[in-house]
Amino acid sequence: MKGRIIIAAMTLAAIFVAGCGSSSSSTTASSSTTASSGTSNTKCTASIAIEGPFTGPVAQVGLEQLHFAQLAVANDNAADHTNVTLAQDDTQLTPSIATTKTQAIIASPAVAVVGPSGSQEVEAVGPLLARAGLAAVSGSATLPALASSGANKTFFRVVPDDDVQGPQDANYVVNHLKPKAVLIVDDDEAYSQGITKVMIPILTKAGIKVDHQTYNGTDTGATLSSALSSLVTAHLTPNVTVAILPWQAAANAQQFGLDAQQQHKKVILFGTDGTNSPSQFHIPGTYISTFGPDISSSTNPMDKAIVAGVAKYGPYGAFGVPTYAATDVVMKAIASVCKAGQTPSRSNVLAAIKTTNIPAAANVLGEPIAFTATGNLAGSPGYLFHVNSAGKYIEIPPK
Amino acid sequence: MQVFIQTVVNGLTTGCLYALIALGYTMVYGVLKLLNFAHGDVYAVGAYIGYVVLQIFGGSTALTIPVPLLLVFMFVAAAGGCGFLGVAMERFAYRPLRNAPRIAPLITALGISFVLENTILLLFGGFTRSYNTNAYISSSNGINIGDLHIDTVQILIFVLTAVMCLGLKLTVDRTTLGKSMRAVASDREAAEMLGIDVDRTIALTFFIGSALAGVAGVMTGLAINQITNTMGFLAGLKAFTAAVVGGIGSIPGAMIGGIFIGLCESFSASYISSQYSDLIVFGILIATMLIRPQGIFGQRPLQKV
Repeated sequence: MKGRIIIAAMTLAAIFVAGCGSSSSSTTASSSTTASSGTSNTKCTASIAIEGPFTGPVAQVGLEQLHFAQLAVANDNAADHTNVTLAQDDTQLTPSIATTKTQAIIASPAVAVVGPSGSQEVEAVGPLLARAGLAAVSGSATLPALASSGANKTFFRVVPDDDVQGPQDANYVVNHLKPKAVLIVDDDEAYSQGITKVMIPILTKAGIKVDHQTYNGTDTGATLSSALSSLVTAHLTPNVTVAILPWQAAANAQQFGLDAQQQHKKVILFGTDGTNSPSQFHIPGTYISTFGPDISSSTNPMDKAIVAGVAKYGPYGAFGVPTYAATDVVMKAIASVCKAGQTPSRSNVLAAIKTTNIPAAANVLGEPIAFTATGNLAGSPGYLFHVNSAGKYIEIPPK
Repeated sequence: MQVFIQTVVNGLTTGCLYALIALGYTMVYGVLKLLNFAHGDVYAVGAYIGYVVLQIFGGSTALTIPVPLLLVFMFVAAAGGCGFLGVAMERFAYRPLRNAPRIAPLITALGISFVLENTILLLFGGFTRSYNTNAYISSSNGINIGDLHIDTVQILIFVLTAVMCLGLKLTVDRTTLGKSMRAVASDREAAEMLGIDVDRTIALTFFIGSALAGVAGVMTGLAINQITNTMGFLAGLKAFTAAVVGGIGSIPGAMIGGIFIGLCESFSASYISSQYSDLIVFGILIATMLIRPQGIFGQRPLQKV
């Protein structure tokens, strides 16, 4: 009897802990709804969802996205007198989890989705969202095929795709870093493999010897240690002066750099947007390309207000800036539907998003936002940063 | 040749970590015939205890105590914390099920694994925490022979693992506790009839196994810098593979199995692709089960007629 009581107590404790884990923490909630902070009392009421990795190895950047989305909802609710609520769906950057979360969103009253964050997730859930007529606006999914495949008919993105970023990055390596040989390592995910596929032909055509390797980006702990140190040991040969790391886990890129330092390998690291996390990846001399600007030191009043405003939700990180723009697109579409005297629904919000036309001055990214027929951003540059000796990201102005 | 030797060093580093975790699997299996699948998460808890100690003493960039003392505190706290966690798990989750069908404690172990993983998530959030080892242990220190480099953390891992494995071997072979453990592993009922406190022996076995996993967690944090709440899952599976390959229930088997798996992983990553290292490691597990199910150091069970 006593034993059974102990087991029962253990079970209750387990349920309590599990319950706490999914309800009290915003980072682990599944479809948990954040109350809108708008002051509106109008009838323009709607709910939207954000899909991103709020836990797991890339939670750092996912939380940045979440915080910017929360700020955008609050700001736009106040500005447009709407009452939009934001549900959070943690995908852990895993397609199978994203699929489950998306099915829950489809079953919910949400009229649009911000995200998903990763290209591999959009690959998995894009057709589901399309069938449900649910618009998804991502601030970070850059695989070109997401738009060109025709499978994701309700997918939009506010960032340039890898066909823009990849060639820019590869050409920068060719023209400025001038290596004889490069190591390029993908992390076995759609985004990473996509950008690698775009870069390799440009590097090869320029006469650069390319060593292409793959590692499992979801590895952790001892297994990750083994994978990264082995890559450094076996593939950073004296000829290789540049290592391109189009990864989604900035901390892994940092560890790769530290391993290279420990093994006295002299190499310039080149990360792409997934590694854009100054707090996690800051090996001096590194280059990091990304799809959004760093507005942390901008003097533009709108940028300053956003940088100050996001502090209410969490620390500033440049990776989240495009998600502010993505959320803004959704919020403006809902507001326009209401202004037209309609009740926000999936179909009219989708139609409004298709005709988005936000001028550069009103967009935190500093570029106008309009979408092509396939949901791509119509014309936008990529951004490049150099990490100085103090580990700070310095933007390299476009030439 | 340089790549080969450096790969050996990398493999030994990873292998030491697997060996320490595998010891816990094998010791618990030895006395209870239980596969404690929560053991990988105990290793993750150890990594987080080390992280908490680091923060208590000022964090990586503003340490308030000398580094050697910090390391001692980190290892002792992780070993002690995880040891007591192991004892608590045994007392409240496994002991009540000791006479239940073997599937019951196995499922309970999986449940505890999720509870531990989610408790870390609840307490520390979902994102990666960093030991930032470079801030207080220079990566340029260590042994340099040509291009070969063995850094201070790797040396620490080798030495500490060797000391603990040797200590464990001596404990099992030459102490009263060790004799009790061997007796319980051999025949629990007979041991009890001979006056051995079986509950105490099993609890101490959990303590020692979990303490070793805790130390491995801190070592991982120091070596790879980053820790996450999910880090125990795959490491636990690899360590389990190491224990099976070495011969589950055999302490030397767990040590050698861990080193073997670490080397296999490292060589496959260096000479084939890290993409295939999991395939190779778990392929070895399947091959072992088919060819020599008792593992390298395991013994076939006697057929009683």
